Amino acid sequence: MSSSPTDTQLIEIVMPQMGVSVAEGTIVEWSKRPGDWVERDETVALVTTDKIDVEIPSPAAGRLAETLVEPGDTVDVGTPLAQLDAGARPGEAHPEEHQEEAPSAAPQEPKGRPDEETDRSGFHSPIVRRMADEHGIDLSGVEGTGIGGRIRKRDLVALIESGAETAAEPAETERPLHIESPYRPDEPAPAAAEAPSAAPAEAGNGAAPGGDILPGEQRESMSPMRRRIAEHMLESRRTSAHCTTIVEVDLHRVVATRRELKEAMKRRGVPLTYLAFVASAVVAELDRHPILNASIDGDEIVYHDDVNLGIAVALDSGLIVPVIRHAQRLSLEGLASEIGRLAQRARSGELEPNDVAGGTFTITNPGQFGAVLATPIINQPQVAILDLEAVVKRPVVIDDESEAIAVRPMTNLCMSWDHRALDGAEAARFLSGVKDRLEEWEL
Amino acid sequence: MKLEAASASRLLERTGTDALTRADRALLLRHMLLMRLAEERGLTLYKQGKVPGSFYDGRGQEATCVGAAFTLGPRDRMCILHRDLGAHFVRGVTPDRYLANYMGREGGVTGGKDGNMHFGDRELGCVGMVSMLPDMAQVAAGIALSFKMRSEPRVAMTFFGEGSTANGQWHEAMNFAGIHRLPVVFVLENNQFAYSTPTELEFAVDPVQRAKTYGFPGVSVDGNDVEAVFEVARVAADRAREGEGPTLIECHTMRMHGHGAHDDMSYVPEELLEEWSRRDPIELYVRRLTEEHGFEQPEIEEIRSSVASYVDECAEKAVASPMPDPGIARDGVFAESWEPLGDGEAPWSRWSATEDQGGTPHNGHHASNGHGDAVVEHGRAA
Amino acid sequence: MAEMTYLQAISDGLREEMRRDEAVFCLGEDIGAFGGAFKVTDGFMEEFGADRVLDTPLAENMIIGACVGAAIEGMKPVAEMQFADFIACGFDQLVNVAGKLHYRQGVSVPMVVRLPSGGGFSGGPFHSQNPEAWFLQSPGLKVVAPATAEDAKGLLVSAIRDPNPVCYLEHKGLYRHVKGEVPEGDHAVPLGEARIAREGGELSVIAYGSSVPLALQAAEELDEDIEILDLRTLNPLDADAILASVEKTGKVLIAHEATRSCGVGAEVASLVSERAFESLDAPVRRLTAPDVPIPFSPPLEQSVLPQLDDMKEACRELLAY
Repeated sequence: MSSSPTDTQLIEIVMPQMGVSVAEGTIVEWSKRPGDWVERDETVALVTTDKIDVEIPSPAAGRLAETLVEPGDTVDVGTPLAQLDAGARPGEAHPEEHQEEAPSAAPQEPKGRPDEETDRSGFHSPIVRRMADEHGIDLSGVEGTGIGGRIRKRDLVALIESGAETAAEPAETERPLHIESPYRPDEPAPAAAEAPSAAPAEAGNGAAPGGDILPGEQRESMSPMRRRIAEHMLESRRTSAHCTTIVEVDLHRVVATRRELKEAMKRRGVPLTYLAFVASAVVAELDRHPILNASIDGDEIVYHDDVNLGIAVALDSGLIVPVIRHAQRLSLEGLASEIGRLAQRARSGELEPNDVAGGTFTITNPGQFGAVLATPIINQPQVAILDLEAVVKRPVVIDDESEAIAVRPMTNLCMSWDHRALDGAEAARFLSGVKDRLEEWEL
Repeated sequence: MKLEAASASRLLERTGTDALTRADRALLLRHMLLMRLAEERGLTLYKQGKVPGSFYDGRGQEATCVGAAFTLGPRDRMCILHRDLGAHFVRGVTPDRYLANYMGREGGVTGGKDGNMHFGDRELGCVGMVSMLPDMAQVAAGIALSFKMRSEPRVAMTFFGEGSTANGQWHEAMNFAGIHRLPVVFVLENNQFAYSTPTELEFAVDPVQRAKTYGFPGVSVDGNDVEAVFEVARVAADRAREGEGPTLIECHTMRMHGHGAHDDMSYVPEELLEEWSRRDPIELYVRRLTEEHGFEQPEIEEIRSSVASYVDECAEKAVASPMPDPGIARDGVFAESWEPLGDGEAPWSRWSATEDQGGTPHNGHHASNGHGDAVVEHGRAA
Repeated sequence: MAEMTYLQAISDGLREEMRRDEAVFCLGEDIGAFGGAFKVTDGFMEEFGADRVLDTPLAENMIIGACVGAAIEGMKPVAEMQFADFIACGFDQLVNVAGKLHYRQGVSVPMVVRLPSGGGFSGGPFHSQNPEAWFLQSPGLKVVAPATAEDAKGLLVSAIRDPNPVCYLEHKGLYRHVKGEVPEGDHAVPLGEARIAREGGELSVIAYGSSVPLALQAAEELDEDIEILDLRTLNPLDADAILASVEKTGKVLIAHEATRSCGVGAEVASLVSERAFESLDAPVRRLTAPDVPIPFSPPLEQSVLPQLDDMKEACRELLAY
């Protein structure tokens, strides 16, 4: 049965403008094929830009006539992607018409009446979504006891009541000691890693990049996100005069404070991490060293009034840096809450282009995976990036006079900075300031 | 005058009555004129596009409703129909509220909730009609039932047309009233046509003759003779008050306009209209007043012109009334508490403590102002 | 307190009110000398006289119309339709006159129409209906449907005291099968308030009338954490109670013996989806009779009216969802 030749009315579906400064996007995949019926607002394609995946909705109901770009193609904003026949009628069935779910990081509802046999684990009812949202639960990690494996309200109630570590809690909580996970995992994110039996890493783990060439090889083309990261990192190294300065920090007061405050905040749905403390100290200290909260534009230094703090989040597919806007306005709890919220949204693929734009300083936490030193790459167009490394108990001299030794939770803060904008002294002073704040933390 | 329960008699001659004073007579004329002029004004407003929906009048039937309503005391109750505007006026509704109701204004009796003649001022002891006919006959029977149960010497009066006697609800009302000898007066306005349907298609046997099958008298009267109607209604009401049960009064009259203003009445034979136009109830009464009751022309003219200017005033007031606030559309579905109906005005001299001198303007003629604060003796007439 | 059947409780309520207030009187077919088709007014004529226990002709419109007129003038009539089904013959007066008078004219019409409703005894299509949805669609009418003896008395008393027309659905199947402790003397249950018949956390069964005992039995036998909300008043609906229960459980089954389309179930389901969407963990379901006249022969009737097994099955399905 083919469509009858009545009133063909072709309209274009174009690459939309996503985010203020975005000029192009890359097709990830098509959710509909030529000949498929599409409802108005139904997703026709998945596009990525600046590492954010965005669904393209159809502007009208009709039959997809032709796709004009291939997955992997990168095109400018405004480029036609496909043609839709808005004059077609749904009864004119394409022989293979089917509803295809647009794959995205967000869970989709299956359409039609649920079959007992089918897997309903991806269907989330309103109350389930609400509770997940309120408690920061990553549903992809929850086992459902409803029909077809559906997550039921009672499953979440049980989870919450048992106080179990939920998947979305940033993995940096309560893991200050060595962990065996790699820094840039190719395997599933920490969500699954809470089970000690982490899925064995594939090619990325242990094999030095660009190292041994083993007999027999497998090729895999880079994902769009991977490619983006590759480009950005290279560009950043080419742009900035990278230096890295490191300070050691004694976190015993932070640890104690965290112990005091953690429960109360947890009840309020806020996961309190060491990263939050560092963020708080950094934001406060930036006020005294504005050069570190600046950008370079040609020959000019652009000082930013707000601290828009980028927080790097490791995903299975790569890295993404959502931004906490006006971080200087937030308290410790506020920062902790925002860090948790953004991390959860990042992991469930709910970030939008504007969530990752406008950062002025970035902090990262590779320490959650066990590393103690690193030389991070600056997130352009910023002038600095600060790593929180693993917190390790070490014996340290706590009094110069008596040379008394105590075991303290120590960490390194490694900051890479752009020598074009500032010099080592300034960088060191800033870092010392952050160190002092953390070491003298008052409850 | 006694009516025999067993027989129905046709009384087309008028009966003399000395229950009416001169002042009463003036009031009878006044009320009929008020209805005539107010309806003419309403029709004009309708043609001027100020009336949503339809417009109905009872031109030619003024004597029926005024004559019947005039007998009622303040504590009696009425269910008034669409061609009985005169009955509303007798009870104390003012023409501005009638016109405003037609125009859907705030100042209308229902405040915009219902239109045209679907109104009844609860504070004047009137229950407004519904479109389904003759539903009000049953409601009147229910009201009468409460009077009987409480042994009160009060009457419920209701109007309906000859067409609605074809409806099962008429039978149920008549039957129930007859079984329980309810104090209700059924006024049947036989105006020859139910919309376009002539009487011979509405019933095989004249309803007035069927009253006896329900166990009470049916009486025919000239519906264009206001005093004849008054007299028969008076007797019927007294019967009811004395516990003798219902009466059916058939008033023969003619609907001089269409069913509604939208109806050109082309189904009415010309000769019929002409015949009845010579029997205009107002003109008939003017003639009687001047010929038999010593009214002078100037007095008649004075009544006419004072009614005319009063209607003008009322029309202005009605037109100035604002449209209702849409916010009230959801209000008042349910009552918070039961309130008794108020008492209606009762202009017949029998009901007043002192005798009116006549000639008083309509809107000042009773101290009660429609709230029944005049203390009247209802019950036995002198 | 005294133990009474549902039927006795109705009589008790009516009798108490007639003793308390002279304006209250009954009217209906066969209610006087015969004591009523279901004996609700048995002995009333002897106590209150034929005037206050009026045997009417076979004329439903007139019965209702008389109620309207009498109520306007301060009486408090309680009419009995011999079977709820016959309200169809009195519909005009009920819907067009009684229901609309206050809105149009500010006139209060304090009357009650008792409607013996429901099937399950081979009454056939004209003696088995549950017509409450008709009244929900007609503005100006309040509607109540007790499920227990205590409420049968309490709601009737409140209905009589309410200044509006109230349709009182008394389910015939509950007359002698439901018993309970009923407060003696003056006992009124406010209109517009639902009652939690059974507390639970996993599923809300929202029901009224005959579906309440059915749900209670099902919940017992299933031994599950099921909450049962007895609506008691259908108009006005206790939206707060409904929403609170849904908030708690996230799963809703609305059960009524009345036919499916546009019934109370449809109304409650719509309310829930509109105002408790984010609390839902399952689709809102209804357990009702299908849209058919109630058949006469027992196997046919039982396949149409919701049975205990139907109730259990519906609960099970929702619990498992």
